[in-house]
Amino acid sequence: MTAPAAPVTRAITAPAPSDSQPPLRRRRKPNLFSTLSRVLIALIVIVQVYPLAWLFITSLRTEHDFATGDPFALPKAITFENYARAFETGNLGMNILNSFIVTMGANLLIVLLGMMAAYALQVLGFRFSKIVRSLFLIGIIVPVQIALVPLFIDYSTINLLDTYPSMIIPLAGFALPMSIYLFSSFFEYIPRETYEAASLDGAGPYRIFGLITLPLSVNTVVTVVLVNSIFIWNDFIFANTFVLSEELKTIPLGLQNYIGAMGKTDWTATFAAVCVTITPLLLVFLVLNKAMIQGLESGASKG
Amino acid sequence: MLPNRSRLSVLVFLLPPLLLYGIAVLFPIMQSLFLSFFSWNGISDMEFVGLENYVRMLTADDIFWRSFFNALGYLAICLVLQLGGALLVASLLTSMRRGRELIKTLYLLPAVISTVAIAFLFVRIYSIEPVGLLNQLLHWIGLGALERPWLSDINTVLAAVSAPEGWRFTGLYMLIIYAALLSVPQELEEAARLDGASRWQLFTKIRFPHIMPVWITTTIMATTYGLRGFDIPYLMTNGGPGQSSELLTTYMYKTAFTSTDFGYASTIAVFIVIECLVAVGLILFMLKRKADA
Repeated sequence: MTAPAAPVTRAITAPAPSDSQPPLRRRRKPNLFSTLSRVLIALIVIVQVYPLAWLFITSLRTEHDFATGDPFALPKAITFENYARAFETGNLGMNILNSFIVTMGANLLIVLLGMMAAYALQVLGFRFSKIVRSLFLIGIIVPVQIALVPLFIDYSTINLLDTYPSMIIPLAGFALPMSIYLFSSFFEYIPRETYEAASLDGAGPYRIFGLITLPLSVNTVVTVVLVNSIFIWNDFIFANTFVLSEELKTIPLGLQNYIGAMGKTDWTATFAAVCVTITPLLLVFLVLNKAMIQGLESGASKG
Repeated sequence: MLPNRSRLSVLVFLLPPLLLYGIAVLFPIMQSLFLSFFSWNGISDMEFVGLENYVRMLTADDIFWRSFFNALGYLAICLVLQLGGALLVASLLTSMRRGRELIKTLYLLPAVISTVAIAFLFVRIYSIEPVGLLNQLLHWIGLGALERPWLSDINTVLAAVSAPEGWRFTGLYMLIIYAALLSVPQELEEAARLDGASRWQLFTKIRFPHIMPVWITTTIMATTYGLRGFDIPYLMTNGGPGQSSELLTTYMYKTAFTSTDFGYASTIAVFIVIECLVAVGLILFMLKRKADA
């Protein structure tokens, strides 16, 4: 994509001392443009990233420094006390563990069930597959808030309120359509001959699923897991509605405990807690950002 | 279709996902629809009230209309920041030759942070005592007159709670649009450039029409996400001060879980769903008309 363009752009921006008339204009304009666009990009990136850096810097400030100083200034002294207080006030370890359990559980359902549905829709095929597909499409458009009241009522009748499944079920359910869609579009690329050959050898639909479809889908599984993990790890609305007890609180709920816990909010400790809780996902993101970016791109651009 | 498949095997693969989806999504939608015709506080007997909830919502509830227009304002700000910002950065990025990957990663960073963390962060950014980033910045550039407590000023609070949501996801939409821009055939752009097309013409006549399908998808995504926005306003102001940052979603949530008026909350929820469907329909309709014209 970029390769054929390279010689042209190089020719335009090459520092040529000659001042022949028409090409000069052409040469200067793109330079001005690219300088401007670089400045603009830098500004926008600062707006995107600086608040996060500030969050981290603030978590290392002393309380006094935070309350009185210039917010942009570097801290006068670096302290880790905020982190100590953050761990004292809350149950960060437990919150992280809970988020981990919910993320794993929901991802397991999303991947397994998404793959199965896509297999039935795309590979096996059946008469009403169009209707089923459009049924799943509903879940992409409909906002999650519609399910809050009904699920709350249903959970309280079957005693499922305040459990891990109460969070996992809606998180997985609402993420399922996108997962089915991603797997379906991947299964399209597996040549039909592969299946036909396996069928001729006597393999049934279950063996084909286990021996051909499943092993080939590893990359799509990674994509689906990465993309969904961002949303599940950070889910606030389902956890806030269905979970009450401290032992089950996920990170977003745990963080809320820091606000006004003792009448007055200890902001530096809160920021330290925020830093601790965003670290796991941030690390995964920074290490796997290529795969994640690719996943996010493919998730929507084929729609 | 696989030759050796049986009806049973289709069911084996299809039933478990349909079951989960039914329990979590389809059945609750039906239930909400059903509940919206009842008056119920969760404890006493349910009372069928017909269309009363709908009539009350549309004709007698000022807070509902206030929230509705607030939600439209919230949506507008999110769309401008997300789609406008995304298109701008994606276009600029294609003209860069180095550092693209780094910028993509940095730009996407806020999308990984939880809404609770973002809400805390922005509460401090907007604060005036101790002075937060925004007010300090205004002071420096000589706009000190604009300094204010952004979240308790009823004129600014809606914009103040919308901006973080826009900020959060603009990187995501940028990625999608950027990927689409890269797929614009290079020969086409070359040819236009040789014909003397300006950058602006290149963009409006070639690039943008080419990414139109992706642009539609992105617009629909951003709109439906904008209409269901909840976390950040709920966490930052809980709809206040007064109702000045109340959205339909936060109003519905409070009606359900603070006033435990399950019937009326379901009516609002049904309205939010209809609103999303209408929005998607409108986008498709407008784009189709534009394409036909």
